[in-house]
Amino acid sequence: MNENTSGKKILSLTLLILGAVLLIAALWMDFSKTYLVVNMGSAKIALRGLFLVLGALLCLAGLYYIPTVMHHRAIINFIFLFPLLFTFAVTVIIPMFVGIFYSFTDWNGVSYTKMVGFENYGAMFKDPAFIWSLLLTVLFVVVNMILVNLVAFLLALLCTTKLKGVGFFRAAYFLPNLIGGIVLGYIWQFVFSNVLTAITNSPHSWLASTNTAFMAIIIVYVWQYAGYIMLIYINGLATVPKDVLEAAQIDGADAMKTLFQIKIPMIAATFTICTFLTLTSAFKQFDVNLALTNGVGTVRGFMGQRLSNGTQMIALNIYNTAFARDQFGYAQAKAILFFIILACVSLIQVRISNKREVEM
Amino acid sequence: MKKTLALVLALVMIVALAACGVSTESAAPAAAPASGGDAAPAADTSAKNGITLFNGKIEIAGALDHAAKVYEEQTGKHVEVNSVGGGVDLQSELKQRYQAGNMPDIFTCEGTPDFSNWVGKVVDMSDQAWVSDTEAEFVDDTGAVIGFPYTTEAIGLAYNKSILDKAGIDPASVTGPASMKAAFEKLDSMKDELGITAVVGYCANAKELYWSTGNHMFSNYLDAGLARDDDTYFDLMMNEGKLDLDRFTPFAEMVGLFNQYSDPALLVSGNYDLQVSGFASGKYAFVTQGSWIGASLTDQYKDLYAAAGNFECGMIPYAFIEGIDTILTNPPSHWAVYNEGNVAEAEAFLQWLAGPDGQQILVQEAGLNSPYKSCTVVANDPFAPTVADFTARGKTSGWHFLEQPANMAEDFTGAIFQDYAMGTIDTQGFIDDMVATIPQAVK
Repeated sequence: MNENTSGKKILSLTLLILGAVLLIAALWMDFSKTYLVVNMGSAKIALRGLFLVLGALLCLAGLYYIPTVMHHRAIINFIFLFPLLFTFAVTVIIPMFVGIFYSFTDWNGVSYTKMVGFENYGAMFKDPAFIWSLLLTVLFVVVNMILVNLVAFLLALLCTTKLKGVGFFRAAYFLPNLIGGIVLGYIWQFVFSNVLTAITNSPHSWLASTNTAFMAIIIVYVWQYAGYIMLIYINGLATVPKDVLEAAQIDGADAMKTLFQIKIPMIAATFTICTFLTLTSAFKQFDVNLALTNGVGTVRGFMGQRLSNGTQMIALNIYNTAFARDQFGYAQAKAILFFIILACVSLIQVRISNKREVEM
Repeated sequence: MKKTLALVLALVMIVALAACGVSTESAAPAAAPASGGDAAPAADTSAKNGITLFNGKIEIAGALDHAAKVYEEQTGKHVEVNSVGGGVDLQSELKQRYQAGNMPDIFTCEGTPDFSNWVGKVVDMSDQAWVSDTEAEFVDDTGAVIGFPYTTEAIGLAYNKSILDKAGIDPASVTGPASMKAAFEKLDSMKDELGITAVVGYCANAKELYWSTGNHMFSNYLDAGLARDDDTYFDLMMNEGKLDLDRFTPFAEMVGLFNQYSDPALLVSGNYDLQVSGFASGKYAFVTQGSWIGASLTDQYKDLYAAAGNFECGMIPYAFIEGIDTILTNPPSHWAVYNEGNVAEAEAFLQWLAGPDGQQILVQEAGLNSPYKSCTVVANDPFAPTVADFTARGKTSGWHFLEQPANMAEDFTGAIFQDYAMGTIDTQGFIDDMVATIPQAVK
């Protein structure tokens, strides 16, 4: 037993040290930009990646063989969680902190020269174009949350009746959701600029003036998104137990009463999901906005200025600040604010909706 | 049983991970110097095979691909050409590539704001042979040559000569606002006879063509009729945020004339393709695009252009004040070499492009106006003769708009041109809005 333990100890230590050496070698190669290459016949294999992966695996193996009874379970848990935690850290946690860091600099997307403190955060509240984008987005979210849910719920009711060809309608309403937002934007751009102008014989496209262009974005968005939300409502309506409906029928409830007193309360959870989905996705609206108007639109006398970004939602505003104006640090600060707003709104929304749900 | 399974899974993971690691890593140092040893240290930069050119002019994509092929045949070096089209924000695209560690070796930069993104990241090419052969290279504040010129372009009011001939208008007679108005009126009255849709193809769609109005059209206010290095109006705008109304008012009136005589279907709701294809098919007597559309006429729209009779093209100055007699010529953009890329091969390729073989292809196939003195090839481009004529007579002005803030047209002035075209503001409103907006834009 004792020998076994000491043998394990040596094995574990060897593996850990070897792994660490390989990892450090890989990192050193990365920073010093020296790459060792092995020629294997015609194929040439770079050692850096191999070192990194092998080093990590050896470290994990070394951890596994540590001769401890007390912490063995914890180590195993760690080893199994590691791939997921690592991925999550690399793709979400680390970028977020890097982003927060950049929001305090004058980063231009390539390099930064100095830290600017809270200057970026202060500047955005004095920037009429940004305030406009923010307000416009809020308006867009409110209008869309109502319209999308209303249209989707009506469509869902329609598609759960015993009409002929219901399957076809379901598919047809859902189809716009399968088309990417950019493509969809260009299709509708053609509709608004060429088809509608020809039909109504108006000289200018709907997309040319701010008010109609904003309406156009809403129309396209509802058209795109209602089918998807409809499917969720259909699913929700299908979960309403048949016996409850039958009982209501026997009690003499008409269709309206059944809808308002039974179906809607029974699928309150679905409403929560749907409002949440429409809320967050409308907030993040980007692709249709970009393809349809790219934010163009004249606004007069907003905070004493004439604005050219009349239809620019906040996501597009952030994108343009970064990529068109080269103010990556400033855009990053806007993005952090956007994240905070979105997180708060979503939390409040879920909390309120949860209270309303009916226990099944 | 469990142990075997765990072992098998672990093995699979190792193999999979190792495979990933190798395949991604091997891409970079693929062409390490063929040393015999087992492990050979190799510098990353020189190890990459071939170079990538990021071209921002989709019009010359075909010719560049051909040039790259010929170059590969001659030297065995591979050049990958990535072309993106008008309206694509080149600098955003480049920054995304930079972030992704996928920077091209040669890339396009337009003017000072673009180059200022890449300070310390581009190569000083002062020692290259082509520098002494041209005057159009891009030089930064410190005197380093950081931009390779590949063409010269001209901004002027392009016309379809066969239509003007039919209407009996001599383009040389258009020398000021009065004669321009008279010519437009005459053409408008003969529309059916001439078979044209509108007198001028002018499009002020702020989403699609902010660069055409806010940069190119507006540049006439800044430069038209002035000496190449005269930056009076540019400095007035940049330093004091002011427009000279004695000059800007007639300019606004000229834009108003274009609004009035443009194709209503094109004016606000159109796009670049409609505008250029419309001109190519002989729908418009004039078009408010510059010499770069020549390549589109002879390539992309060659069927339309042939159907319209392969008409002769020319340019007149935007003569919004009597006596303005210059068109605006400049390299629209330069190619810079990324200093962490494959510098030696990139420079070799550029030198080759500036030489006779490269110029042969660029000038003849892409219809570029060569900025190189040693080039003897004459472009087979509808606008080449007219540009050569203005250049020979010394009647050209510069492009100071290249130094204005990068987002000025997109975020500020483009929308004002659109409002003016839609008629939501009149000429005075256009002037007032511009006067009010310029200080914000140049701030």
